[in-house]
Amino acid sequence: MNLTTTLLLTPFLTAFLVLLVPGNYRFVIRCLALLGGLVTLALGIALFERFDPAGAAYQFEVLLPWVSSSAFRLGLHLGVDGVAASMLLVTSIVGFAAIAISWDIEKQSKLYYILLLTMIGGALGAFASLDLFFFYFFNELALVPTFIMIGVWGYGEDKDYAAYKITMYLTAGALIALAGLIGLYALSGANSLDLVELQKQVAKTPLSATTQAFLFPCLLFGFGTLVGLWPFHAWAPQGYGSAPSATAMMHAGILKKAGLFALIRVALPLMPQGVAWWMPVLAFLCVGNLLYCGFVAMRQRDLNLLIGNSSLAHMGFAFLGIASVSLVGLTGTVLVMVAHALLAALSFALTGWVRRSAGTLDMDQLGGLLRRMPFIGATMTLCFMAGCGVPGFGNFAGEVTVLFGAWKWVPWIVVAAAWGGLVVGGIYMLRALRSALHGPLADGLKDVKDAAGLWRQLPFVLLAAGLVYFGIFPSTVTRRVTPSLSKVVELARPTGAKAAGPQAKAVPAKPTH
Amino acid sequence: MDAHAATTAVEAGSKYQDLAWMVLASPLLCGAGSWFFTRRLRGLTAGFNIAGILLSFLLGVVLLGMSGSHPLAATPFQWLPVAGLDFTLGLQVDRLSMLMTLVVTGVAALVMIYSTAYMHDDASFSRFFCKLSLFVFSMLGIVLADNLVMIFIFWELVGVSSYLLIGFWNERPAAGDAAKKAFLTNRLGDFGFILGILSVWAATGTVNLSQLSEKFAANPAILGSMAGITGLLVFLGAMGKSAQFPLHVWLPDAMEGPTPVSALIHAATMVAAGVYMLCRVFFLYTAAPGWPDALAWLGDLGAGTILGHIGAFTALMAALIAVQQNDIKRILAYSTLSQLGYMVMAVGLGAAQGTPASGMFHLVTHAFFKAMLFLGAGSVIHACHHEQDIWKMGGLRKKMPATFWTFVIGTAALVGLPPFSGFYSKDEVLATALETCPPLFVIAVLVAILTTFYMGRLLLVAFFGEARSEAASHAHESPPSMTWPLLILAVPSVAVAWLPLGDFIGAAFGSHGHGHAVAAAGEAHPIGVGPLMETVFGGLDAAIFGPFNHNALAAAFGIFAALLGGSLALACYGGVDADPLPRRLGFWASLLRGKFYLDEIYSGLVIPLHDLVAALHGWIDRWVVNGLGIRGLHGSFELAGRVLRLVQTGSLQTYAFVFAAGLAVVAWFLLR
Repeated sequence: MNLTTTLLLTPFLTAFLVLLVPGNYRFVIRCLALLGGLVTLALGIALFERFDPAGAAYQFEVLLPWVSSSAFRLGLHLGVDGVAASMLLVTSIVGFAAIAISWDIEKQSKLYYILLLTMIGGALGAFASLDLFFFYFFNELALVPTFIMIGVWGYGEDKDYAAYKITMYLTAGALIALAGLIGLYALSGANSLDLVELQKQVAKTPLSATTQAFLFPCLLFGFGTLVGLWPFHAWAPQGYGSAPSATAMMHAGILKKAGLFALIRVALPLMPQGVAWWMPVLAFLCVGNLLYCGFVAMRQRDLNLLIGNSSLAHMGFAFLGIASVSLVGLTGTVLVMVAHALLAALSFALTGWVRRSAGTLDMDQLGGLLRRMPFIGATMTLCFMAGCGVPGFGNFAGEVTVLFGAWKWVPWIVVAAAWGGLVVGGIYMLRALRSALHGPLADGLKDVKDAAGLWRQLPFVLLAAGLVYFGIFPSTVTRRVTPSLSKVVELARPTGAKAAGPQAKAVPAKPTH
Repeated sequence: MDAHAATTAVEAGSKYQDLAWMVLASPLLCGAGSWFFTRRLRGLTAGFNIAGILLSFLLGVVLLGMSGSHPLAATPFQWLPVAGLDFTLGLQVDRLSMLMTLVVTGVAALVMIYSTAYMHDDASFSRFFCKLSLFVFSMLGIVLADNLVMIFIFWELVGVSSYLLIGFWNERPAAGDAAKKAFLTNRLGDFGFILGILSVWAATGTVNLSQLSEKFAANPAILGSMAGITGLLVFLGAMGKSAQFPLHVWLPDAMEGPTPVSALIHAATMVAAGVYMLCRVFFLYTAAPGWPDALAWLGDLGAGTILGHIGAFTALMAALIAVQQNDIKRILAYSTLSQLGYMVMAVGLGAAQGTPASGMFHLVTHAFFKAMLFLGAGSVIHACHHEQDIWKMGGLRKKMPATFWTFVIGTAALVGLPPFSGFYSKDEVLATALETCPPLFVIAVLVAILTTFYMGRLLLVAFFGEARSEAASHAHESPPSMTWPLLILAVPSVAVAWLPLGDFIGAAFGSHGHGHAVAAAGEAHPIGVGPLMETVFGGLDAAIFGPFNHNALAAAFGIFAALLGGSLALACYGGVDADPLPRRLGFWASLLRGKFYLDEIYSGLVIPLHDLVAALHGWIDRWVVNGLGIRGLHGSFELAGRVLRLVQTGSLQTYAFVFAAGLAVVAWFLLR
């Protein structure tokens, strides 16, 4: 069987097996889930490893036709380019880590693991789908468990409101994006939502300028909301604050990236004029992520809310790379996506441990944890350092590439990005480290326990090692993504306007139609 | 970007310069390896880490001997290849980088040996050594880097390792705060640095140092109107690391770290990184000055001149503050600040002469004698049971002879008495100032007077007179593993008189192809092992009196300043038990003791201002976005639902009325 299909099936199959086990056999359920996660991880690594940078555009391709009339064709079309391969890899890593840190779930653990595995499978499906219908379907399949898990296993008094808010926002965003996708199908004249077909169709007869001007924002703001584009970001911090750790890891780490993934894959190459008109807008909005969300993060006293806001700030870098529509900038965006997946997952895994062990995430009540929890404390130091863009971790590689990619087009926004990433990011991350880890031990924390033993430390080590690996060898990602991204740039900025930014394209674009 | 580096390597024919990777990797491998495998065996861990540094040192000596005058490039590592922007990590082996490698690894090895005794009772002994190795690795990365992005990468890593080491005793709130402050202040500088790199890259299309150097030599006006701004942005990075006003505030607080850390990082190496980096990118300051329209009134003023003034100001301010500090480490910290100001001034003013050699010379000599002074202070602190107030010491001269005599040598070098090293380098700094900007020469001489004054005060109060506390009266000499590094560090401070170090550094810049640099390096001899030996054994008197031939006025003023400051100190502090200055100077003394209240101004004004901006955003997010926006949207849907429910009355007449009204509206639109 094809590698993509196997990878995609593993979590769903595991979820099905878990379904067959009686609910009180908690140990068996957990072992099954872990095994499923481990196999997924191995397959994810194998797929990334075997992806050939010099090979075809889409590799490990599968097409299972479902509906085929002359007016509408629909099929499960799976295939992987470099961007997808990278995202599938980090999904399998984060998925395994999320299962591994869930050892303390006692309430309805059967349902919990089924939902978590569905999330993992859905995310894998979204990244592997070439048919936009299935992309959307898998993405929703992964999102729904998020809402349930916050409601059932969440924390805090506001968890119901948080679940309600995140559901409303993400559903609204998904609906707007769906409107855009249906519009693409209806107005492009293609007879399917298959990305390959759509690209062929658009190459033959481009979408009219007006169509692009209206469809593009549907995708931009629809998918943007899923990522937390300012000012449609308010769902994120509260949702993550209330979510169980594994859910926050999967959502902040992986699902959020599906929006960016779709923007790069669908919106940019199909609608060059939409790009020309809307990218300057995106460039301004991402200052909201970079600075505004960073400033809000400075004000937080709860570690999870701080990380939630800081992850929005990181998304600003990803958006800036997209807005630059340059190969360098987009490569930076993918690097940020990969690194931030690991970073967000590691952060929420760590805060999950602290919450379980200390009973609170309020920084005023924490303090001096480093001496009591050397492993967790050291990993948190490492993680927060990665979070404020220290070299040696994947985030720096992505962020610096984005800065270089956008500098010639929008220097002032790059200045804002550098301030947000280096200074504001440094301030809130170091303040958090200072109040949670340093200083004398806070009252009532005498009994906190460190993660002891290989088994408990493994998920943290895995995620941290990934961050370091991509910090030192970002070339493993960049080599794989360069072919597909250069195609995206070619399509998004036709007639070879390479040096100028999208803005320069906007002017000559108008009179031609 | 790497094409050029690769060709250089091929030209050289052999790949022995790839040993440079070993220089860089050895501390990292030994540090990480000992952390993972021998952490529980303290002695072995210390041994491994020391061996790692010594290996780097030896390889540095070998490479210096082999490289000659021609810069070599080690095979680069493809770090982040993207079309049009191939970030590579390459190493540049030339005299400058090798000299700096020897300084860093030499001081680091001695500091580590010293630490085996100083940190002996610490529970985290192994962690300390591994972190020191991490620091040395990061620092060597800056030293050897062949491009700006790589410098920035290791620049940040140096910041991180400094953070970890300042916060080594992080259960003390003061150490945690100082670590945070150091990192964040450095981050402000890095913000400028990265923008400067971007600006250079945008104008020239490369970040590789040797390519940049060639491009600037071919076209000095390549940066156009951005020349001044770019120079200042890059300087912001140096301002952070080398603690120049107004980003100097972190350095005195960094003394919360263990004393060996202060000696290695906050006296000899990390703080020198800024000056070293300025020497590496010196072409930015010799470029044709240019300003954007808004700043056109600056005219021909080069960024280098601005650097010179900032450096001179820092030197003066820090020397004044040092006069009224009582903590032995803080006196030395402000002295470091002041000397760094000298170096920056010399590099900045050197732009007019085309060479930063005098600043670099002072960097090298300062690294050794200041590390020695800090380790001496550590020895004193160790002996006095962690007492750091000089007024609670006294009479240590007889109890700790080795510490005392090395401290005296260090002081003599710092104040610039011949034939100690500081005399030669400070003389070059003064000569540079005199030749390019006489007003700054006056300030520099004033600083020299103050330097002797506060160092004299420190010596007289701590080492002479009677013991003023219980701890000081029971003090005894430190163990040999602490005194031997002191003695070894004293050697370079004495030996420079016999070594043509200044000429060597001048030649290092001459061979860099800055064009007119060769002229300034003047009578630089061709340096090799043979001529070096000749110089060692011949011409001692020429070496000692050389500075007078070079610039007699500068040398005379240097010696005069040292003598004047020393006699003032003797007059004020000979045989006193309390500081007479606060009584005599009143307000001015408290101003100096309060460090001009800059910390208070920052924490009372600048930080709250930034926090206020954050608070404003937080407020908007809470009340406008989350409150009005979301709850409001939620509320308006609720309201709409309620309004619609009013319409759903269930009465047929109402429905008929609404239907008719709707029809009427549609009809009006259609028929209008």
